[in-house]
Amino acid sequence: MITRVFTIAWNTGREAVRSKLLYTLFFFALVLIFASLILANISYVERNRILQDIGLASIRFFSVAISIFVGVGLIHKEVERRTVYTILSKPLSRGEFLLGKYLGLVGTLWLQAAIMIAVFAAISLLRGVALDAGHAAAFGLLAVELAVVVAIATFFSAFTTPLLASLFAGGVWIAGNLTRNLRDIGADSGVEIVQQVTALLHRVLPDLASFNLSIEAAHGLPVAASDLWLPALYGAAYVTIVLVCAVTIFERRDFK
Amino acid sequence: MSAGAPPIVRIQGIVKDFHPGLGLRRRRVLHGISFSVREGEIFGFVGPNGAGKTTTLKILMGLIRPSQGAASILGHDVGETSFRRHVGFLPENPYFYDFLTGREILRFYARLSGVPRSRLGSRVDALLAWVGLTPAADAHLRTYSKGMLQRIGIAQALVHDPSVVFLDEPMSGLDPIGRKEVRDLILRLRSEGKTVFMSTHILSDVEMVCDRVAIIVRGRIRFEGATHEFLTGGEPEADVVLARLSPEAAASLEEEFRARLRGVDERIELRVAEKLVNPMLHAAIAAGAEVVSVTPHRMSLESIFLSAVEEDRARSKGAGGEDPT
Repeated sequence: MITRVFTIAWNTGREAVRSKLLYTLFFFALVLIFASLILANISYVERNRILQDIGLASIRFFSVAISIFVGVGLIHKEVERRTVYTILSKPLSRGEFLLGKYLGLVGTLWLQAAIMIAVFAAISLLRGVALDAGHAAAFGLLAVELAVVVAIATFFSAFTTPLLASLFAGGVWIAGNLTRNLRDIGADSGVEIVQQVTALLHRVLPDLASFNLSIEAAHGLPVAASDLWLPALYGAAYVTIVLVCAVTIFERRDFK
Repeated sequence: MSAGAPPIVRIQGIVKDFHPGLGLRRRRVLHGISFSVREGEIFGFVGPNGAGKTTTLKILMGLIRPSQGAASILGHDVGETSFRRHVGFLPENPYFYDFLTGREILRFYARLSGVPRSRLGSRVDALLAWVGLTPAADAHLRTYSKGMLQRIGIAQALVHDPSVVFLDEPMSGLDPIGRKEVRDLILRLRSEGKTVFMSTHILSDVEMVCDRVAIIVRGRIRFEGATHEFLTGGEPEADVVLARLSPEAAASLEEEFRARLRGVDERIELRVAEKLVNPMLHAAIAAGAEVVSVTPHRMSLESIFLSAVEEDRARSKGAGGEDPT
C-alpha cells in the first residue's frame, strides 16, 4: 500500500512542479516578499514590523491560494481527463489514490512554502532581523493550515467541478478564519437559535485562526507550547475526518 | 480451455441504470446482460455506438457499479482490487499524463501494478521495444501521435504481465497501418497464452482476430458464440457456379437439392448445403454442365450485426418505442 500511495504522491508532486500555474503564483509570492522590503525601506516608522507583517501575510496568503487553486482540480481533473481509468484498473483502491494525490500536493506545497520562508528569512537577515522560535511556531502551524486547506479542497474536488470547489473551499477558508468571531457574535446575540447555529458552525468549520501565529511572530510575543501542539492535533484530526468523508464519497462515485 | 473450466470473465444478469437527478427518469443502459469469456481466447464484444460496450467494460474495471447482477474476473468480484495485478486495461481514446515521457509513464504504471523495483527497468525497456516505441521512449507524451499513444496504452496495460487484457476500441482512430499493428499485437498476446477481451464496432477486425463474439444492441446481448459459427450462420453452405446448364436442368437441381438459384450472365450460381455439394455436382455433370467454382459460403459479421440491429429496432417499435425503464 505504501509503495502505491507514494507512487501517486510522487507523480502528483512531479505534475505540480511541472505546472505553469504554480510557478506564476509562486513568482508573485516572491515578488510580494521582496516588495515588503521596499515598503519597509520607504516607511519612516517600524520598518521591521512592516517587513514582518507583509512578508508573513504574503507567505500565508499565497500558500493558501496555491493550495485552493491546485487542490480543487486534484481529483476532478483526473476524472475529466480520464487518467483515473487506467490508474484505478491497477491493484490500487480509490482511497489509496485519493490519499496519494493529497499527500503529493501537501508535500509540494510544504516545499514551496519552505522556499518562500527561506527567501523571507534571508531578507529579514539583510534588515538585521533574525527569525526566532515564534517564527518557527508560525511556520509550523502554517504547514498544518495548508494540510487542512488542501484536505478541504480535495474533499470538494472529489465530487464537484473545480469552479464550484474553489468557491466552496475559498468560502470555507474565509469562514474558517472568522468562525471564532461568529461564535462570539452568536453568544452575544442572546437568541438561543442563533447561539446554537453559530456554535454548530464553529464546531463544523475549521478554526483556521488557531493556526495563525503571524502576530506573535511579527511582534516577538511569547508562544506557549500548547498554542502549537493543540492546534496541530486539532488540524491532524480535522484532516483525517475530511479525508475519510472525501474517500467515502469518492468510493461511491460512478465514472461515466 | 476445457469446456468444464471456469470462465476467466463472467457477467451475470448485469443491469445498469443511470440517474440524471433533479427528478428526471432513470435511464437503463444495460438490461440484464450475461456472457462469459474463456481462457486463452480473443473475445470480441461488438455493438454499435451507445450499445453499452464501454459501460460494461467500466463495470468490469470497477469504475462504475452495476445496479443489479454480478461480474467477476478470474473468480474475483470486480469490486475487489488485489486481483487486478493480473488484469490489464486499455480504455477508449486513452489519455495519459502528457508531462511524462513514455519511459516515465510505464515506470509509473509498473510501480502501481507492483512490479518489483529490480525488474522495473528491464520490463519497461522490453515493453517499449515490444510496442516499437524505444526511439521515442524519452519524448514527452504530448509529442506522441494518436497511434503512438495507443501503443503506449497497450504497453501500460501489459507492463505487469497480466493474464487477461481488456481493450476498449483498440483500433479506434488509427490509420490502416496502425490498425494492422494493433491487430498483430493482439494476436501476439493470444500466442503468449493471454486472454483478450476486445470491445469494438469495427467488424472486419473482429472477423480477423476474434475466436468468439458477443453482439450487444441497446443494452441487450443479441448473440454470443464462436466467430466461425456466426460467419457460417448455422448450417454450412457453399456457392456452386456452373456453366453450360440448360434452364430445365437448373430448375431440376434447384428442386432436388433445395438450392437457391440465380443467373450470373451465362452462368448459374446455386447456393446449397455443403453436405449436398457432391451429389449435386454429379447430377450437374451428368446433365452436361461444366463446374466453374465451388466456394464455401461465409455470411459476413456485418450482415449478422445489421440484422441484429434491425431486429432490435423492429422489436422496440413493436413494444412502443423506448425500452421501459
